[in-house]
Amino acid sequence: MFTYYLRLAWISIIRHWGLSLVMICAIGLGIGAAMTTITVNYLMSANPIPHKSEQLFFVQLDSWDVNEPFDEGVNPPDQLTYTDSTNLMKANKAFRQNVQAQAYGVIEPDDSDLLPINVSARANSADFFTMFDVPFIYGSAWSQQSDIAKEQVIVLSKKINDQIFGGEDSVGKTIKFDNNIFKIIGVIDHWQPKPRFYDITTGAFNESEDVFVPFSLIAEEKVRRSGNTNCWKPSGDGMAAFLAGECIWTQFWVELKSEQEKQDYMTFLNAYVEEQKQYGRFERPLNNRLSNVMQWLENQEVVADDARMMMAMSLMFLTVCLLNTIGLLLAKFLGKAPEIGLRQALGASKATLFSQYMIESACIGFAGGLLGLGLSFLGLIGIENLYGDYMQGLATLDITMMTFAIVLALVCTVIAGIYPTWRACNISPAQQLKSQ
Amino acid sequence: MLIMKNISKVFQTADIQTHALRDFNLTVNEGDFVSVTGPSGSGKTTFLNIAGLLETYTSGEFTLDGENIGQLNDNGRSRMRNHKIGFIFQSFNLIPDLNLFDNVDVPLRYRGFNAKERKRRIEENLERVGLASRMKHLPSQLSGGQQQRVAIARALATDPRFLLADEPTGNLDSEMAQSVMSLLEDINKQGTTIVMVTHDAQLAQRSPRTIQVMDGRVSELNLHLATDNQQAIA
Repeated sequence: MFTYYLRLAWISIIRHWGLSLVMICAIGLGIGAAMTTITVNYLMSANPIPHKSEQLFFVQLDSWDVNEPFDEGVNPPDQLTYTDSTNLMKANKAFRQNVQAQAYGVIEPDDSDLLPINVSARANSADFFTMFDVPFIYGSAWSQQSDIAKEQVIVLSKKINDQIFGGEDSVGKTIKFDNNIFKIIGVIDHWQPKPRFYDITTGAFNESEDVFVPFSLIAEEKVRRSGNTNCWKPSGDGMAAFLAGECIWTQFWVELKSEQEKQDYMTFLNAYVEEQKQYGRFERPLNNRLSNVMQWLENQEVVADDARMMMAMSLMFLTVCLLNTIGLLLAKFLGKAPEIGLRQALGASKATLFSQYMIESACIGFAGGLLGLGLSFLGLIGIENLYGDYMQGLATLDITMMTFAIVLALVCTVIAGIYPTWRACNISPAQQLKSQ
Repeated sequence: MLIMKNISKVFQTADIQTHALRDFNLTVNEGDFVSVTGPSGSGKTTFLNIAGLLETYTSGEFTLDGENIGQLNDNGRSRMRNHKIGFIFQSFNLIPDLNLFDNVDVPLRYRGFNAKERKRRIEENLERVGLASRMKHLPSQLSGGQQQRVAIARALATDPRFLLADEPTGNLDSEMAQSVMSLLEDINKQGTTIVMVTHDAQLAQRSPRTIQVMDGRVSELNLHLATDNQQAIA
């Protein structure tokens, strides 16, 4: 009977194409608007590393001014000082740990035909690649020994390797980065976690970096750091004074395999802060945090308020579209009352008729869903243009969202169709046949 | 076969109670061809609707083919309509969006026949009413008489024990009406019980048995001796 109902639905939609088109457009517009904003919210709030997001923890220590607490005392600072990061690295208490900061520089290719390239860089320690599952095409990450030895090694992104070496295996070659010669030890594949959880302070949806270099080279001034820097106490002149000052600009992540490891690490952090208090630092009460990936994204409010507002408004718009669809379906199905009465006379039960007209509703919903999907694509392009770089590459419909769009359209239309179908199926057949 | 005992039907609105049928008693035997006459508003159509299980009754007992109709739920009534009753309406009631083949197919779908069996029955019955060559036509492409023939083919497709006809010739000219009546007579001769509501006294005269409904009651019962067989039944 299912195929029979599908055929009847098709005939009905074609014969009453005007009314059907209005319904499909109403659903399509509602779904298009809703899916555009749902997709943005979905991608903003997606888990960028689901298989280990519960094991990666962002470290926060409250080293801020006792008189003017950071974030009015609600949250500890969102970055660490160089002193604390390097101390935690040396303590080496976590299963894996990584200190990092944003950096930048200029690559001067050996090929004189190529112009110097301004690149974004990440200065990080060796575990960065393993902790965040960075995929390599050629070579591998540097070792902890390279960090300690402050070796001038570099990992290139696929984009830069393609640009300079035409995609060839460049491992073992050297490259001039910021006037220093670096040995290429690895090339990573395209890697763009969304959100870019490992450094939200410089943009949750920015592209991942062009090159990766050891964090230890910042102190050697072989790599220029950038990114957000906040200081509550003036530091002296020069790099050494800056590094020793109370300025926060590094991010510190640890990988902990169990709840016990997490508790142990927190105990260690508290002990570390107590120890630092003896040196006149950390004057505020203990306020250390370990946030896993999703907690950190939530804490940093990665999903923007205006995106949430847009989603709420688009869902209201979808509701209005569905209310219109209910009215149109009611008009259509009540217009079919004589046919419904006749079908009852010929042996259709109310349940049978209910199924038939619900399938017709679902078909309209499916068509509306397809239209909505097309409008979502257009909507996302519009949002990308509206927000520029902030949304670059974020506003895309993946297979999950495409499926969701169709399912949402089907569910909404079936719900919208329940009342009109119920009304139509409860019409007295005798009355309808008489009125023919 | 169809037994109604003291059937009453009351239509209730906010202020008014209308008694469409009062103590309605009727027995229709297998193979009967019964014409139901009476003035407008006398209760003929209400009787036919109750007989066709399209409407419930307020009180009384109604047995159709041995089944107590009062005890059936919606599914049971639908099954009874599909298996045992065929309907012919004054305004034909074909589905305008479906061609003749699909119109006749409707009750067969609900019966659950397979595609081969449905095709056989559709072709056979459209052949029987002389419209096999037009099975891909839409109802709007046919004359009134032809549409009524399609309705008859649809009614017969499930091999019903009962054929209920509500003014089947009401929208036809006299020539078409005679043709349709002849068709019904043939169907009755083959054993199908027919109950036909009509205003047309001449047509009613052609059926072996006529009842008159007046004020919701069977007020008069005439038995014609049209054929030898039916004479014996009468």
